[in-house]
Parts: sequence; C-alpha cells; structure tokens
Amino acid sequence: MTFIQKQRNILDVALCSLLRRKGKNLSLVVAYVFVIFLLSSVMFITDALKREASFVLKDTPEMVVQRLVAGRHELVPTAYAKVIGKIKGVQSVSARLWGYYYDATNGANYTLIVHQDLITSPGSIMVGRGVARHLSAGENGTIPFKACDGSYLFLEIRSVLPSESELVSADLVLMSELDFRRLFQMPEGYATDLVLRVRNVRELSTIAAKVVQLLPDTRPVSRDEILRTYDAVFSWRSGLVIVIFAGALCAFLILAWDKATGLSAEEKREIGLLKAVGWETSDVLLMKFWEGMAVSLVSFLTGIILAYLHIFFTSASLFEPALKGWSVLYPDFRLTPFIDGQHAATLFFLTVVPYTAATIVPSWRTATMDPDSVMRS
Amino acid sequence: MIEIKNIRKVFNAGKTNEFAAIDGVSLQVDSDRITVFKGPSGSGKTTLLSILGCMVRPTSGRIEVNGREITSLPEQFLAEIRRSGFGFIFQQYNLIRGMTALENVMIPSYPTGERRSSLKKRAVELLDLFNVSHKAGSRVEELSGGEAQRVTIARALMNNPRFVIADEPTAHLDTKLSREFMDIMLGLKTEGKTILIASHDPVVCDSIAVDRLVGMRDGRITTVDDRR
Repeated sequence: MTFIQKQRNILDVALCSLLRRKGKNLSLVVAYVFVIFLLSSVMFITDALKREASFVLKDTPEMVVQRLVAGRHELVPTAYAKVIGKIKGVQSVSARLWGYYYDATNGANYTLIVHQDLITSPGSIMVGRGVARHLSAGENGTIPFKACDGSYLFLEIRSVLPSESELVSADLVLMSELDFRRLFQMPEGYATDLVLRVRNVRELSTIAAKVVQLLPDTRPVSRDEILRTYDAVFSWRSGLVIVIFAGALCAFLILAWDKATGLSAEEKREIGLLKAVGWETSDVLLMKFWEGMAVSLVSFLTGIILAYLHIFFTSASLFEPALKGWSVLYPDFRLTPFIDGQHAATLFFLTVVPYTAATIVPSWRTATMDPDSVMRS
Repeated sequence: MIEIKNIRKVFNAGKTNEFAAIDGVSLQVDSDRITVFKGPSGSGKTTLLSILGCMVRPTSGRIEVNGREITSLPEQFLAEIRRSGFGFIFQQYNLIRGMTALENVMIPSYPTGERRSSLKKRAVELLDLFNVSHKAGSRVEELSGGEAQRVTIARALMNNPRFVIADEPTAHLDTKLSREFMDIMLGLKTEGKTILIASHDPVVCDSIAVDRLVGMRDGRITTVDDRR
C-alpha cells in the first residue's frame, strides 16, 4: 500500500512538473503525435493493403506462364497450353487475354480483361466503379474505345462491378474475346499468358522447371512469387512515404533529443532541492520516468488513434496517391481495420522507450551528484 | 548531537583552481541548542552546513550524528537521514515555482508513501502555525519574501526533523521579519529542535536565542563563543 501511495505521490509531482512547463511539453507532444501519426498511418495502410491483397490473391491460379522475347513480356501461343497440359501434375491450363488501355480523352488507364463466363456476347462490357465514376457512365451507357487501326468500338455497359471489390476492380473493364482482339488487333491463336492449376502445390517448382525445359522461351510465375511482389511493392511504397516524411521525423528527433536530454538550470536546481529534502536518486528517476512516460504514452496513443481514424475512416485521405498507385482512378473503398500487433509493438519500443530513456539519463547524471553541488551549479 | 572530526572539503581537486573550502574543522554541535556560524563570504559557513546536513560528503574526516558514523554510508542512507533527520531553510528559499505553497511544503514527505490526505493535513497545520495558511493555494511566485520564508520553514519541519539547518535565512528579510524569524527559531528550540544557522546578519548573531556563536574564516574555525 505504501509502495502504491509513493508511486501516486511521485506521479503527482511528475504531472505537476509537466504542467509547469506547458509550452515546452505541449510543443513536444504535438511534434511527437505528428510523427507517430505518420508512422502508424503508413504501418496501418501497408498492413491492411497487404492483407486485402493476400485475400484477393488467395483464389488466383497457382501458376502463370508468360512468354519472353528479348527479356520482354510477349504474347504466348495458345498451342503452348497443350504442351503444358501434358506435364504430370498439371490439372488444367487456360489462356488469358488482358491488357491496358489508355483513354487519351479522359487521361485514364483501364485494365481490360476477357472474361468468357461473365461476358458472353460481343458489344457489352462490365466496368469497375472507378471507370464508371470517371466517365460519369452507368448501366446501359456506351463507352467508345479507339482500336489500333484508328476505328472506334462502341461498347455498352451491361453492369457496374460491386463496390466490395473496388480495391482491385476500380479500373477494370471486362469484355468479350472478340471485342478484345478487335481492339488490339491481336491474332487468333495467341493469348496474353497462360494460367495453370496443379494437383499438389508442393510440386510447383518441379512443374515450373519442366515448363521451362519444354518451352525455353517461357517464364513460370507462381502465386507465392506474385504475393511476394505485392508485398514488396506495398513495402516499397510505404518506404517511399516514410522517406517523404523523413524530414519531419528528423526534426522531431532533434527536438525530442534537445528537449528530453537538456536539463535547464531550473530543472537541475529542482533535482538538487528534491535530493536535499530527502528524495533518493531512485525517487528522482522515478519522477522523470513518469514524466517521460506521460509525454510519450499520451503522444503514442493519440498518434495511433488519429492514424486509425485516418486510415480506416477517411480512407487514408492524406497519402493515398502514393500508396494506392499512380492511376487517376483511385479506388473509393474502406479498408478492413487490421493492425499487426508485432508492428505496433515495434513502433512502441522504437518511440516510447527511447524517449523515456532519453529523459531519464540526464536526470540520472544530475541526481547522482551531491545535492549541494547541483544547487550551486 | 552532531560531531565532526578533522573535516576537510576540497573543491576542484587536482586542478589548477583547487581550493579547500573547509580545512581541518572539528566541532561538537549540542542538541536542543541554536548554533550560529558567523563569518564573511567564502569563509566556509555554507559548505560546513552542507556537510553537517549530509548534503555533501567531506573530502576527509568523520561525521557522527547521534553517535552514528555517517561519512561512509551509501547515498540512499544519507537521503533517508536527510529526509527524517534534517530540515533545510535555504538562502534563496528554493521553493519550486509553479507549485502552490501547500505542495511545496508536502514535497519532502512524498517518498515516504504516506497518504496524501494525512500529508495535506500536516502541511496545512504547519502553514497555519506560521500564519500563512491563507496562502496555501497560492503559487510560490505570488508570495512576499516573508511569506516565502515561512513556507520554507514549514517545509523544513514537514518530516518533524531533529535538526533544522538554515543558510543565511535573513539575507532577503528586513529587520522586523528577521527578528520574527529568530523568534520562530527560539520556539523550535523550545520544542527540542537543534538549530544550525549560517549568517553574518547582526540580528541573528546578536539574538538572545543563540546559544553558541562559531566564528569562521578561510575554511577554519577562528572563535567559539558559548553563551550558555
């Protein structure tokens, strides 16, 4: 009981000490909150996007086979599907047709995909919500596409894709094979790539080796490799945002270091006085610990809460262009709240702990001196 | 009783500006008395009081408080001795700015783990004893010199110490307030406190409350005038 009462008494003095230096501590808290907000915003959105992407990619085929010519992605002959289909362990092989279309009039890039099951008749398409929004078009509207030969293809919107899938479908246009080939003048017997289903995923590397052996101009890409690429892209983008805000981070570190480590003459005199009236060195350090803890914990929690609201309630309005891509068709969606506990703990230990330690060390130097020497200095 | 034997305190040891603030002082301070250390600035009064109050360790020599040798004790024990055995009244008052008079008085007792309500009750009683309870909620920077002095005395008595140490306590007080201060010291002596004062103020040195006047110069005791 005495121990708890002592903690309460010392915490009381610590909070009182913080309030006495309102200006200094408030400016520190503001800078601290800003940095935590930025770092945790990046952390939240990166983790949430990675998670979304992994969910989306969960049902993708185990392997994609592309053809390379001079190191560049080239159209793959559909005849390759028969060769690959004969490899032991391959369940099915299908050809995919997809590509990008730049709409010069509206300055937007669309992702065009042939979907035989959804689009059965030529002349109609399904579009993502981003495309529909951008063109102010809805169901039964018509979109003109300029083909490779300069002619125009007028395709009717049969439906708009549901909003739940907007993260991946915002810029999507689903169309028939016939329209796709007419648009890009793509010859029959060729596809963009081939997708494979295998019976046993542990045989993927063996199958990939056999594909390359039989068809040396191809490149098999497994689903894990795609996931790793997404992971790297999101990590790279989050790194990009951190680099952009590195200036703010450095400014904060300098400010925090200066404020936390430099004891003013008044603070030194106070420590000397507390020692003189019977406080032990450990009591002084406990007081400084509570001071540092109060500043850093309040800032950390405020920063985290603000970042949570920013990412999951305002859809990362501050830096979505950098993290979601460079397309003009930004998805309008709400991320599912997800926090990686390990990342949050890392952020905590990289911010709260060093700051608290930085406030204790200079106080410890002063507190271990004779109270008389401190008060005279 | 405090007894010091052949105390020496050297500052900046080994440097070109090395000097001995206290140079071989031996003295016995009797209990329930008022002892005043008199001397010019730089004579070593404040350093000697700091040594007697366990605020600074001597370079050499021995200190015994109530028969217990304390020179070699670790810092945490010295802090405990300071907290329970000594009350300090500083020349500059050394009240913590931004805090109220009441909070300043309570400060020495916080590490004891005593309940806040009982600390507050005792602090208010002390402020009341020195007629400054009406200023309990005022910040110390709003206090006059005399009020600040009395708050300092209340703080010194918060842990009911055996010894009260005052360093130039009347330096910022007028004659009337200085006499009031000595009356308070006389009252504390009557209650059984041992008072040690460093001062060259005639109001203090010539006070009838003083039992012993110790003259100092250049870190040495030059005269001892026992008045009782």
